[in-house]
Amino acid sequence: MARGTSQSQASSSSLSRPGLAAPRGTPAASAAGMRRRRISTGSTPASASASGGSSNMLRFYTDDAPGLKISPTLVLVMSLCFIGFVTGLHVFGKLYRYNTGST
Amino acid sequence: MPGGGFRVLHLVRPFLSFLPEVQSAERKVPFREKVLYTVISLFIFLVCSQLPLYGIHSTTGADPFYWMRVILASNRGTVMELGITPIVTSGLVMQLLVGSKIIEVDNSVREDRALMNGAQKLLGILIAIGEAVAYVLSGMYGSVGQLGAGNAILIILQLFFAGIIVICLDELLQKGYGLGSGISLFIATNICENIIWKAFSPTTINSGRGAEFEGAVIALFHLLITRTDKVRALREAFYRQNLPNVTNLLATVLVFLIVIYFQGFRVVLPVRSKNARGQQGSYPIKLFYTSNMPIILQSALVTNLYFISQLLYKKYSTNFLVNLLGKWKESEYSGGHFIPVGGLAYYITAPSSLADMAANPFHALFYIVFMLSACALFSKTWIEVSGSSARDVAKQLKEQQMVMPGHRESNLQRELNRYIPTAAAFGGMCIGALTVLADFMGAIGSGTGILLAVTIIYQYFETFEKERASELGFFGF
Repeated sequence: MARGTSQSQASSSSLSRPGLAAPRGTPAASAAGMRRRRISTGSTPASASASGGSSNMLRFYTDDAPGLKISPTLVLVMSLCFIGFVTGLHVFGKLYRYNTGST
Repeated sequence: MPGGGFRVLHLVRPFLSFLPEVQSAERKVPFREKVLYTVISLFIFLVCSQLPLYGIHSTTGADPFYWMRVILASNRGTVMELGITPIVTSGLVMQLLVGSKIIEVDNSVREDRALMNGAQKLLGILIAIGEAVAYVLSGMYGSVGQLGAGNAILIILQLFFAGIIVICLDELLQKGYGLGSGISLFIATNICENIIWKAFSPTTINSGRGAEFEGAVIALFHLLITRTDKVRALREAFYRQNLPNVTNLLATVLVFLIVIYFQGFRVVLPVRSKNARGQQGSYPIKLFYTSNMPIILQSALVTNLYFISQLLYKKYSTNFLVNLLGKWKESEYSGGHFIPVGGLAYYITAPSSLADMAANPFHALFYIVFMLSACALFSKTWIEVSGSSARDVAKQLKEQQMVMPGHRESNLQRELNRYIPTAAAFGGMCIGALTVLADFMGAIGSGTGILLAVTIIYQYFETFEKERASELGFFGF
Protein backbone atom coordinates (compact mmCIF):
# COMPACT_ATOMS: atom_id res chain seq x y z
CA MET A 1 0.00 0.00 0.00
CA ALA A 2 2.84 2.30 0.85
CA ARG A 3 4.33 1.77 -2.59
CA GLY A 4 1.15 2.70 -4.35
CA THR A 5 0.69 5.91 -2.44
CA SER A 6 4.26 6.99 -2.84
CA GLN A 7 4.00 6.45 -6.56
CA SER A 8 0.91 8.56 -6.89
CA GLN A 9 2.62 11.26 -4.93
CA ALA A 10 5.69 11.17 -7.11
CA SER A 11 3.53 11.75 -10.13
CA SER A 12 1.72 14.64 -8.50
CA SER A 13 4.98 16.28 -7.51
CA SER A 14 6.34 15.98 -11.02
CA LEU A 15 3.24 17.81 -12.19
CA SER A 16 3.94 20.72 -9.92
CA ARG A 17 7.66 20.77 -10.64
CA PRO A 18 7.59 23.32 -13.49
CA GLY A 19 5.99 25.92 -11.26
CA LEU A 20 8.68 25.35 -8.72
CA ALA A 21 11.44 25.82 -11.22
CA ALA A 22 10.11 29.15 -12.42
CA PRO A 23 11.97 32.04 -10.77
CA ARG A 24 8.82 34.01 -10.08
CA GLY A 25 7.25 31.08 -8.30
CA THR A 26 6.34 32.84 -5.09
CA PRO A 27 4.44 35.88 -6.32
CA ALA A 28 2.68 33.79 -8.93
CA ALA A 29 1.64 31.32 -6.30
CA SER A 30 0.33 33.96 -3.97
CA ALA A 31 -1.50 35.64 -6.80
CA ALA A 32 -3.08 32.35 -7.71
CA GLY A 33 -4.05 31.89 -4.12
CA MET A 34 -5.69 35.31 -4.05
CA ARG A 35 -7.60 34.64 -7.21
CA ARG A 36 -8.76 31.31 -5.95
CA ARG A 37 -10.07 32.88 -2.82
CA ARG A 38 -11.96 35.45 -4.81
CA ILE A 39 -13.65 32.79 -6.86
CA SER A 40 -14.62 30.63 -3.97
CA THR A 41 -15.86 33.52 -1.92
CA GLY A 42 -17.60 35.17 -4.82
CA SER A 43 -20.12 32.41 -5.24
CA THR A 44 -20.99 31.90 -1.59
CA PRO A 45 -19.61 34.66 0.57
CA ALA A 46 -21.13 33.40 3.77
CA SER A 47 -19.85 29.89 3.72
CA ALA A 48 -16.33 30.91 2.86
CA SER A 49 -15.90 33.44 5.61
CA ALA A 50 -17.80 31.45 8.19
CA SER A 51 -14.79 29.59 9.47
CA GLY A 52 -14.07 32.46 11.82
CA GLY A 53 -11.51 32.36 14.54
CA SER A 54 -9.29 29.38 14.59
CA SER A 55 -9.20 27.95 11.13
CA ASN A 56 -5.50 28.63 11.25
CA MET A 57 -4.82 27.01 14.53
CA LEU A 58 -1.42 28.04 15.71
CA ARG A 59 0.10 29.17 12.48
CA PHE A 60 -0.51 32.86 12.37
CA TYR A 61 0.03 33.44 8.70
CA THR A 62 -0.04 30.91 5.97
CA ASP A 63 1.63 32.82 3.19
CA ASP A 64 5.08 31.95 1.96
CA ALA A 65 8.15 32.92 3.87
CA PRO A 66 11.68 32.77 2.56
CA GLY A 67 13.25 29.61 3.80
CA LEU A 68 14.38 26.17 2.93
CA LYS A 69 11.65 25.28 0.46
CA ILE A 70 10.57 21.69 0.62
CA SER A 71 7.81 20.02 -1.30
CA PRO A 72 5.05 18.16 0.53
CA THR A 73 6.24 14.87 -0.92
CA LEU A 74 9.66 15.52 0.57
CA VAL A 75 8.09 16.02 3.99
CA LEU A 76 6.37 12.67 3.80
CA VAL A 77 9.48 10.93 2.45
CA MET A 78 11.56 12.57 5.16
CA SER A 79 9.25 11.34 7.89
CA LEU A 80 9.22 7.83 6.46
CA CYS A 81 13.02 7.90 6.32
CA PHE A 82 13.09 8.99 9.94
CA ILE A 83 10.82 6.14 10.94
CA GLY A 84 13.02 3.77 8.95
CA PHE A 85 16.11 5.17 10.61
CA VAL A 86 14.80 4.66 14.13
CA THR A 87 13.64 1.15 13.27
CA GLY A 88 17.08 0.51 11.83
CA LEU A 89 18.67 1.72 15.04
CA HIS A 90 16.58 -0.76 16.97
CA VAL A 91 17.50 -3.61 14.67
CA PHE A 92 21.19 -2.80 14.69
CA GLY A 93 21.12 -2.24 18.41
CA LYS A 94 19.67 -5.73 18.89
CA LEU A 95 22.17 -7.31 16.50
CA TYR A 96 25.10 -5.53 18.10
CA ARG A 97 24.06 -6.53 21.57
CA TYR A 98 23.51 -10.11 20.41
CA ASN A 99 26.99 -10.25 18.85
CA THR A 100 28.76 -8.80 21.84
CA GLY A 101 26.74 -11.04 24.11
CA SER A 102 27.71 -14.22 22.25
CA THR A 103 31.39 -13.48 21.85
CA MET B 1 5.42 52.02 14.37
CA PRO B 2 8.85 53.61 14.26
CA GLY B 3 10.76 52.73 11.15
CA GLY B 4 14.21 52.64 12.67
CA GLY B 5 15.38 51.34 15.96
CA PHE B 6 15.97 47.89 17.21
CA ARG B 7 13.23 45.33 16.85
CA VAL B 8 13.24 41.92 18.48
CA LEU B 9 11.69 40.33 15.45
CA HIS B 10 14.69 41.15 13.31
CA LEU B 11 16.82 38.81 15.37
CA VAL B 12 15.11 35.99 13.54
CA ARG B 13 16.17 37.12 10.09
CA PRO B 14 19.56 35.36 9.90
CA PHE B 15 17.89 32.05 10.69
CA LEU B 16 15.10 32.50 8.21
CA SER B 17 16.91 30.85 5.35
CA PHE B 18 17.61 27.69 7.33
CA LEU B 19 14.09 27.04 8.52
CA PRO B 20 12.26 24.34 6.62
CA GLU B 21 9.28 25.70 4.81
CA VAL B 22 6.67 23.71 2.95
CA GLN B 23 5.92 25.45 -0.30
CA SER B 24 2.35 26.55 -0.82
CA ALA B 25 0.12 24.70 -3.18
CA GLU B 26 0.25 26.38 -6.57
CA ARG B 27 -2.91 24.82 -7.80
CA LYS B 28 -6.10 23.81 -6.13
CA VAL B 29 -5.43 20.48 -4.52
CA PRO B 30 -8.33 18.20 -5.31
CA PHE B 31 -10.39 16.87 -2.45
CA ARG B 32 -9.27 13.27 -2.92
CA GLU B 33 -5.63 14.26 -2.84
CA LYS B 34 -6.20 16.26 0.32
CA VAL B 35 -7.73 13.23 1.98
CA LEU B 36 -4.74 11.19 0.82
CA TYR B 37 -2.23 13.64 2.30
CA THR B 38 -4.20 13.79 5.53
CA VAL B 39 -4.36 10.02 5.84
CA ILE B 40 -0.66 9.57 5.15
CA SER B 41 0.26 12.24 7.70
CA LEU B 42 -1.98 10.59 10.23
CA PHE B 43 -0.38 7.23 9.44
CA ILE B 44 3.08 8.66 9.99
CA PHE B 45 1.96 10.21 13.24
CA LEU B 46 0.43 6.97 14.49
CA VAL B 47 3.52 4.95 13.60
CA CYS B 48 5.68 7.51 15.35
CA SER B 49 3.57 7.35 18.46
CA GLN B 50 4.03 3.59 18.70
CA LEU B 51 7.69 3.40 17.74
CA PRO B 52 9.81 3.26 20.89
CA LEU B 53 12.80 5.55 21.18
CA TYR B 54 16.12 3.86 20.62
CA GLY B 55 18.52 3.81 23.50
CA ILE B 56 16.21 4.42 26.43
CA HIS B 57 16.83 2.39 29.52
CA SER B 58 13.58 2.54 31.36
CA THR B 59 10.44 4.59 31.40
CA THR B 60 9.52 3.97 34.99
CA GLY B 61 10.61 7.35 36.31
CA ALA B 62 8.20 10.08 37.22
CA ASP B 63 6.06 11.27 34.37
CA PRO B 64 5.59 15.01 34.63
CA PHE B 65 3.32 15.11 31.62
CA TYR B 66 0.99 12.33 32.74
CA TRP B 67 -1.96 14.69 32.90
CA MET B 68 -1.46 16.20 29.54
CA ARG B 69 -0.44 13.15 27.53
CA VAL B 70 -3.80 12.87 25.87
CA ILE B 71 -4.17 16.51 25.04
CA LEU B 72 -0.66 16.96 23.76
CA ALA B 73 -0.82 13.88 21.57
CA SER B 74 2.28 12.38 23.06
CA ASN B 75 3.10 8.87 24.06
CA ARG B 76 5.48 7.78 26.78
CA GLY B 77 8.77 6.33 25.65
CA THR B 78 8.01 6.66 21.95
CA VAL B 79 9.39 8.90 19.26
CA MET B 80 6.34 11.12 19.79
CA GLU B 81 7.37 11.72 23.37
CA LEU B 82 7.08 15.47 22.88
CA GLY B 83 4.00 15.31 20.69
CA ILE B 84 2.83 18.74 19.69
CA THR B 85 4.17 20.45 22.81
CA PRO B 86 6.85 22.41 20.92
CA ILE B 87 4.38 23.93 18.46
CA VAL B 88 1.73 24.69 21.03
CA THR B 89 4.16 26.15 23.51
CA SER B 90 5.85 28.35 20.95
CA GLY B 91 2.42 29.52 19.79
CA LEU B 92 1.54 30.37 23.37
CA VAL B 93 4.77 32.25 23.95
CA MET B 94 4.47 34.23 20.74
CA GLN B 95 0.92 35.10 21.61
CA LEU B 96 1.94 36.39 24.99
CA LEU B 97 4.82 38.35 23.49
CA VAL B 98 2.63 39.96 20.86
CA GLY B 99 -0.19 40.54 23.31
CA SER B 100 2.12 42.31 25.73
CA LYS B 101 3.60 44.39 22.89
CA ILE B 102 7.13 43.11 23.51
CA ILE B 103 7.22 42.11 19.89
CA GLU B 104 5.60 44.52 17.51
CA VAL B 105 4.07 43.07 14.42
CA ASP B 106 2.43 44.95 11.63
CA ASN B 107 0.03 42.49 10.09
CA SER B 108 -0.11 44.35 6.83
CA VAL B 109 3.63 44.22 6.16
CA ARG B 110 4.62 41.10 4.30
CA GLU B 111 8.05 40.88 5.81
CA ASP B 112 6.71 41.13 9.32
CA ARG B 113 4.41 38.23 8.75
CA ALA B 114 7.26 36.14 7.35
CA LEU B 115 9.46 37.04 10.31
CA MET B 116 6.70 36.23 12.76
CA ASN B 117 6.15 32.89 11.11
CA GLY B 118 9.85 32.16 11.15
CA ALA B 119 10.15 33.24 14.75
CA GLN B 120 7.42 30.89 15.80
CA LYS B 121 8.98 27.98 13.97
CA LEU B 122 12.43 28.73 15.29
CA LEU B 123 11.08 28.94 18.81
CA GLY B 124 9.27 25.63 18.30
CA ILE B 125 12.49 23.93 17.22
CA LEU B 126 14.42 25.46 20.12
CA ILE B 127 11.76 24.29 22.55
CA ALA B 128 11.94 20.79 21.08
CA ILE B 129 15.70 20.70 21.64
CA GLY B 130 15.38 22.20 25.08
CA GLU B 131 12.72 19.75 26.19
CA ALA B 132 14.62 16.80 24.75
CA VAL B 133 17.73 17.79 26.68
CA ALA B 134 15.70 18.40 29.83
CA TYR B 135 14.05 14.98 29.52
CA VAL B 136 17.33 13.15 29.11
CA LEU B 137 19.17 15.08 31.80
CA SER B 138 16.33 14.80 34.30
CA GLY B 139 16.69 11.03 34.06
CA MET B 140 13.34 10.14 32.59
CA TYR B 141 14.90 7.34 30.59
CA GLY B 142 17.38 6.32 33.22
CA SER B 143 20.29 8.41 34.40
CA VAL B 144 22.79 9.73 31.89
CA GLY B 145 25.52 7.52 33.31
CA GLN B 146 23.38 4.46 32.65
CA LEU B 147 22.57 5.53 29.13
CA GLY B 148 26.03 6.56 28.05
CA ALA B 149 26.80 9.78 26.26
CA GLY B 150 26.28 8.33 22.77
CA ASN B 151 22.81 7.06 23.51
CA ALA B 152 21.88 10.28 25.27
CA ILE B 153 22.81 12.26 22.18
CA LEU B 154 20.93 9.79 19.99
CA ILE B 155 17.79 10.21 22.09
CA ILE B 156 18.02 13.98 21.88
CA LEU B 157 18.50 13.76 18.12
CA GLN B 158 15.50 11.48 17.73
CA LEU B 159 13.27 13.77 19.76
CA PHE B 160 14.54 16.79 17.86
CA PHE B 161 13.83 15.24 14.47
CA ALA B 162 10.42 14.10 15.62
CA GLY B 163 9.73 17.70 16.60
CA ILE B 164 10.74 18.97 13.17
CA ILE B 165 8.62 16.32 11.50
CA VAL B 166 5.57 17.31 13.50
CA ILE B 167 6.13 20.95 12.60
CA CYS B 168 6.50 20.08 8.92
CA LEU B 169 3.47 17.78 8.89
CA ASP B 170 1.39 20.45 10.55
CA GLU B 171 2.51 23.00 8.00
CA LEU B 172 1.93 20.58 5.16
CA LEU B 173 -1.65 20.03 6.23
CA GLN B 174 -2.21 23.71 6.83
CA LYS B 175 -0.83 25.01 3.57
CA GLY B 176 -3.73 23.55 1.72
CA TYR B 177 -2.53 20.03 1.02
CA GLY B 178 -4.62 18.50 3.73
CA LEU B 179 -7.77 19.02 5.75
CA GLY B 180 -7.69 21.11 8.88
CA SER B 181 -4.42 21.41 10.72
CA GLY B 182 -1.93 18.88 11.95
CA ILE B 183 -2.30 19.86 15.57
CA SER B 184 -6.03 19.35 15.68
CA LEU B 185 -5.84 16.15 13.70
CA PHE B 186 -3.28 14.62 16.03
CA ILE B 187 -5.06 15.74 19.18
CA ALA B 188 -8.42 14.41 18.01
CA THR B 189 -6.93 11.08 16.97
CA ASN B 190 -5.20 10.63 20.26
CA ILE B 191 -8.27 11.47 22.31
CA CYS B 192 -10.61 9.29 20.29
CA GLU B 193 -8.14 6.45 20.55
CA ASN B 194 -8.10 6.93 24.28
CA ILE B 195 -11.89 6.96 24.61
CA ILE B 196 -12.34 3.87 22.46
CA TRP B 197 -9.64 2.10 24.41
CA LYS B 198 -11.19 2.98 27.77
CA ALA B 199 -14.56 1.77 26.56
CA PHE B 200 -13.60 -1.47 24.86
CA SER B 201 -10.16 -2.36 26.17
CA PRO B 202 -9.88 -6.14 26.53
CA THR B 203 -6.94 -6.10 28.94
CA THR B 204 -7.62 -7.49 32.36
CA ILE B 205 -6.36 -5.93 35.54
CA ASN B 206 -6.14 -7.78 38.79
CA SER B 207 -7.37 -5.47 41.50
CA GLY B 208 -7.81 -7.74 44.46
CA ARG B 209 -11.37 -8.79 43.64
CA GLY B 210 -10.34 -11.04 40.80
CA ALA B 211 -9.53 -10.11 37.25
CA GLU B 212 -11.47 -7.16 35.88
CA PHE B 213 -11.63 -5.88 32.35
CA GLU B 214 -10.31 -2.38 31.82
CA GLY B 215 -12.82 -1.41 29.15
CA ALA B 216 -16.08 -0.09 30.62
CA VAL B 217 -18.46 -1.78 28.16
CA ILE B 218 -16.65 -5.09 28.20
CA ALA B 219 -16.53 -5.01 31.98
CA LEU B 220 -20.29 -4.39 32.08
CA PHE B 221 -21.04 -7.52 30.09
CA HIS B 222 -18.40 -9.55 31.83
CA LEU B 223 -19.79 -8.66 35.26
CA LEU B 224 -23.39 -9.23 34.16
CA ILE B 225 -22.59 -12.68 32.84
CA THR B 226 -20.29 -13.94 35.56
CA ARG B 227 -21.91 -12.55 38.69
CA THR B 228 -24.97 -14.24 40.12
CA ASP B 229 -26.28 -11.09 41.80
CA LYS B 230 -27.19 -9.03 38.72
CA VAL B 231 -28.07 -5.85 40.59
CA ARG B 232 -24.76 -5.70 42.37
CA ALA B 233 -22.97 -6.50 39.15
CA LEU B 234 -24.72 -3.58 37.47
CA ARG B 235 -23.88 -1.27 40.33
CA GLU B 236 -20.24 -2.23 40.19
CA ALA B 237 -20.07 -1.75 36.42
CA PHE B 238 -21.55 1.71 36.81
CA TYR B 239 -19.69 2.97 39.83
CA ARG B 240 -16.35 1.22 40.14
CA GLN B 241 -13.77 3.76 41.14
CA ASN B 242 -10.37 2.63 40.01
CA LEU B 243 -11.17 1.81 36.39
CA PRO B 244 -13.31 3.50 33.74
CA ASN B 245 -16.95 2.74 34.44
CA VAL B 246 -20.16 3.07 32.49
CA THR B 247 -21.09 6.38 34.14
CA ASN B 248 -17.90 7.89 32.79
CA LEU B 249 -18.79 6.65 29.35
CA LEU B 250 -22.31 8.10 29.55
CA ALA B 251 -20.91 11.40 30.80
CA THR B 252 -18.60 11.48 27.81
CA VAL B 253 -21.48 10.96 25.42
CA LEU B 254 -23.52 13.63 27.19
CA VAL B 255 -20.73 16.19 26.95
CA PHE B 256 -20.35 15.35 23.27
CA LEU B 257 -24.02 16.09 22.68
CA ILE B 258 -24.03 19.31 24.72
CA VAL B 259 -21.04 20.72 22.88
CA ILE B 260 -22.49 19.91 19.49
CA TYR B 261 -25.74 21.56 20.52
CA PHE B 262 -23.89 24.72 21.56
CA GLN B 263 -21.92 24.79 18.34
CA GLY B 264 -25.09 25.82 16.56
CA PHE B 265 -25.49 29.03 18.60
CA ARG B 266 -24.65 32.04 16.45
CA VAL B 267 -25.56 35.59 15.62
CA VAL B 268 -26.13 36.05 11.92
CA LEU B 269 -25.32 39.47 10.52
CA PRO B 270 -26.83 40.12 7.10
CA VAL B 271 -24.39 41.38 4.51
CA ARG B 272 -24.99 42.49 0.97
CA SER B 273 -22.68 42.71 -1.99
CA LYS B 274 -22.03 46.23 -3.27
CA ASN B 275 -21.43 45.52 -6.92
CA ALA B 276 -23.60 42.52 -7.57
CA ARG B 277 -27.11 43.68 -6.85
CA GLY B 278 -29.37 41.36 -5.02
CA GLN B 279 -26.60 39.07 -3.86
CA GLN B 280 -27.43 38.52 -0.21
CA GLY B 281 -25.18 36.81 2.21
CA SER B 282 -24.79 36.41 5.90
CA TYR B 283 -21.85 36.58 8.20
CA PRO B 284 -22.41 34.29 11.14
CA ILE B 285 -20.63 35.01 14.41
CA LYS B 286 -20.54 31.83 16.39
CA LEU B 287 -20.79 31.60 20.13
CA PHE B 288 -17.65 29.49 20.04
CA TYR B 289 -15.96 32.13 17.96
CA THR B 290 -12.46 31.02 18.83
CA SER B 291 -13.52 27.39 19.07
CA ASN B 292 -11.05 25.30 21.04
CA MET B 293 -8.11 27.71 21.00
CA PRO B 294 -8.65 28.88 24.59
CA ILE B 295 -8.41 25.37 25.97
CA ILE B 296 -5.40 24.47 23.89
CA LEU B 297 -3.57 27.52 25.18
CA GLN B 298 -4.82 27.01 28.71
CA SER B 299 -3.64 23.40 28.77
CA ALA B 300 -0.30 24.39 27.30
CA LEU B 301 0.08 26.89 30.11
CA VAL B 302 -0.87 24.35 32.77
CA THR B 303 1.43 21.67 31.32
CA ASN B 304 4.44 23.92 31.34
CA LEU B 305 3.64 25.02 34.86
CA TYR B 306 3.38 21.39 36.01
CA PHE B 307 6.62 20.50 34.31
CA ILE B 308 8.56 23.35 35.85
CA SER B 309 6.95 22.87 39.24
CA GLN B 310 7.75 19.15 39.31
CA LEU B 311 11.33 19.67 38.26
CA LEU B 312 11.77 22.30 40.96
CA TYR B 313 10.01 20.23 43.60
CA LYS B 314 12.25 17.26 42.96
CA LYS B 315 15.35 19.38 43.39
CA TYR B 316 14.36 21.77 46.15
CA SER B 317 11.39 20.33 47.99
CA THR B 318 12.01 22.46 51.07
CA ASN B 319 12.06 25.85 49.42
CA PHE B 320 9.04 27.93 50.38
CA LEU B 321 8.53 29.46 46.94
CA VAL B 322 8.78 26.10 45.22
CA ASN B 323 6.20 24.68 47.61
CA LEU B 324 3.98 27.62 46.86
CA LEU B 325 4.15 26.71 43.18
CA GLY B 326 3.24 23.09 43.78
CA LYS B 327 3.72 20.09 46.05
CA TRP B 328 3.71 16.66 44.48
CA LYS B 329 3.03 13.17 45.73
CA GLU B 330 3.16 9.83 43.99
CA SER B 331 -0.27 8.55 43.08
CA GLU B 332 -1.35 5.41 44.90
CA TYR B 333 -3.36 3.91 42.04
CA SER B 334 -1.02 3.61 39.11
CA GLY B 335 2.56 4.12 40.10
CA GLY B 336 4.90 6.32 38.18
CA HIS B 337 3.02 9.56 38.00
CA PHE B 338 2.79 12.31 40.51
CA ILE B 339 -0.30 14.19 41.56
CA PRO B 340 -0.29 17.71 42.92
CA VAL B 341 -1.27 17.93 46.57
CA GLY B 342 -0.53 21.54 47.37
CA GLY B 343 0.40 24.93 46.08
CA LEU B 344 -0.74 26.63 42.93
CA ALA B 345 -0.50 23.44 40.87
CA TYR B 346 -3.06 21.78 43.15
CA TYR B 347 -5.54 24.58 42.85
CA ILE B 348 -5.53 24.64 39.07
CA THR B 349 -6.07 20.88 38.86
CA ALA B 350 -9.60 19.58 38.57
CA PRO B 351 -11.00 17.99 41.74
CA SER B 352 -10.96 14.26 41.21
CA SER B 353 -14.59 13.66 42.20
CA LEU B 354 -17.73 15.25 43.55
CA ALA B 355 -16.86 14.05 47.04
CA ASP B 356 -13.46 15.66 46.76
CA MET B 357 -15.17 18.84 45.66
CA ALA B 358 -17.43 18.86 48.70
CA ALA B 359 -14.46 18.28 50.97
CA ASN B 360 -12.46 21.17 49.51
CA PRO B 361 -14.93 23.79 48.34
CA PHE B 362 -12.22 26.42 48.06
CA HIS B 363 -10.22 24.25 45.71
CA ALA B 364 -13.27 23.70 43.51
CA LEU B 365 -14.12 27.39 43.51
CA PHE B 366 -10.59 28.42 42.66
CA TYR B 367 -10.43 25.88 39.87
CA ILE B 368 -13.68 27.09 38.33
CA VAL B 369 -12.68 30.73 38.52
CA PHE B 370 -9.28 29.96 37.07
CA MET B 371 -10.69 27.95 34.18
CA LEU B 372 -13.32 30.52 33.26
CA SER B 373 -11.10 33.55 33.45
CA ALA B 374 -8.15 31.88 31.70
CA CYS B 375 -10.35 30.69 28.85
CA ALA B 376 -12.04 34.07 28.45
CA LEU B 377 -8.73 35.92 28.51
CA PHE B 378 -7.01 33.61 26.05
CA SER B 379 -10.00 33.81 23.79
CA LYS B 380 -9.90 37.59 23.78
CA THR B 381 -6.20 37.85 23.10
CA TRP B 382 -6.40 35.13 20.48
CA ILE B 383 -8.70 37.08 18.18
CA GLU B 384 -6.19 39.91 18.15
CA VAL B 385 -3.24 37.70 17.37
CA SER B 386 -4.85 35.42 14.83
CA GLY B 387 -6.33 38.21 12.78
CA SER B 388 -9.99 37.58 13.45
CA SER B 389 -10.75 40.69 15.49
CA ALA B 390 -13.47 43.12 14.46
CA ARG B 391 -10.99 45.28 12.56
CA ASP B 392 -9.65 42.38 10.52
CA VAL B 393 -13.09 41.02 9.75
CA ALA B 394 -14.27 44.47 8.68
CA LYS B 395 -11.28 44.77 6.36
CA GLN B 396 -11.90 41.33 4.96
CA LEU B 397 -15.54 42.11 4.25
CA LYS B 398 -14.58 45.38 2.65
CA GLU B 399 -12.14 43.59 0.37
CA GLN B 400 -14.95 41.35 -0.72
CA GLN B 401 -17.11 44.42 -1.38
CA MET B 402 -19.65 43.43 1.20
CA VAL B 403 -21.62 45.94 3.24
CA MET B 404 -24.19 45.64 5.93
CA PRO B 405 -27.56 46.93 4.80
CA GLY B 406 -28.66 49.89 6.89
CA HIS B 407 -25.15 50.78 7.99
CA ARG B 408 -22.54 52.98 6.44
CA GLU B 409 -19.28 51.44 5.47
CA SER B 410 -17.35 53.16 8.20
CA ASN B 411 -19.83 51.80 10.68
CA LEU B 412 -19.01 48.20 9.83
CA GLN B 413 -16.21 47.84 12.28
CA ARG B 414 -18.19 49.37 15.12
CA GLU B 415 -21.10 47.11 14.38
CA LEU B 416 -18.83 44.06 14.37
CA ASN B 417 -17.17 45.29 17.51
CA ARG B 418 -20.45 44.98 19.30
CA TYR B 419 -20.49 41.24 18.74
CA ILE B 420 -17.03 39.82 18.20
CA PRO B 421 -15.24 40.60 21.49
CA THR B 422 -18.32 39.59 23.43
CA ALA B 423 -18.65 36.38 21.48
CA ALA B 424 -14.97 35.64 22.00
CA ALA B 425 -14.94 36.28 25.73
CA PHE B 426 -18.29 34.68 26.45
CA GLY B 427 -17.58 31.75 24.14
CA GLY B 428 -14.26 31.17 25.85
CA MET B 429 -16.02 31.22 29.19
CA CYS B 430 -18.62 28.72 27.98
CA ILE B 431 -15.86 26.44 26.76
CA GLY B 432 -14.22 26.71 30.15
CA ALA B 433 -17.51 25.99 31.91
CA LEU B 434 -18.14 22.94 29.77
CA THR B 435 -14.65 21.69 30.52
CA VAL B 436 -15.30 22.04 34.23
CA LEU B 437 -18.65 20.28 33.84
CA ALA B 438 -17.04 17.40 31.95
CA ASP B 439 -14.37 17.11 34.61
CA PHE B 440 -16.89 16.96 37.41
CA MET B 441 -18.95 14.33 35.66
CA GLY B 442 -15.80 12.30 35.22
CA ALA B 443 -15.85 12.08 31.45
CA ILE B 444 -13.20 9.80 30.00
CA GLY B 445 -9.96 11.48 29.03
CA SER B 446 -10.48 14.66 31.12
CA GLY B 447 -12.84 17.50 30.33
CA THR B 448 -10.24 19.38 28.33
CA GLY B 449 -9.64 16.35 26.15
CA ILE B 450 -13.30 15.78 25.40
CA LEU B 451 -13.93 19.42 24.59
CA LEU B 452 -10.97 19.47 22.24
CA ALA B 453 -12.04 16.28 20.52
CA VAL B 454 -15.62 17.41 19.98
CA THR B 455 -14.76 20.86 18.68
CA ILE B 456 -12.12 19.44 16.37
CA ILE B 457 -14.41 16.77 14.99
CA TYR B 458 -17.09 19.39 14.45
CA GLN B 459 -14.59 21.56 12.59
CA TYR B 460 -13.69 18.62 10.42
CA PHE B 461 -17.33 18.05 9.58
CA GLU B 462 -17.63 21.69 8.54
CA THR B 463 -14.49 21.46 6.43
CA PHE B 464 -15.77 18.31 4.74
CA GLU B 465 -19.05 19.98 3.92
CA LYS B 466 -17.33 23.06 2.57
CA GLU B 467 -14.94 21.03 0.46
CA ARG B 468 -17.75 18.97 -0.92
CA ALA B 469 -19.76 22.11 -1.70
CA SER B 470 -16.88 23.85 -3.44
CA GLU B 471 -16.08 20.70 -5.39
CA LEU B 472 -19.67 20.53 -6.57
CA GLY B 473 -19.55 24.23 -7.37
CA PHE B 474 -16.55 23.71 -9.58
CA PHE B 475 -18.25 20.92 -11.41
CA GLY B 476 -21.26 23.15 -11.85
CA PHE B 477 -19.29 25.80 -13.72
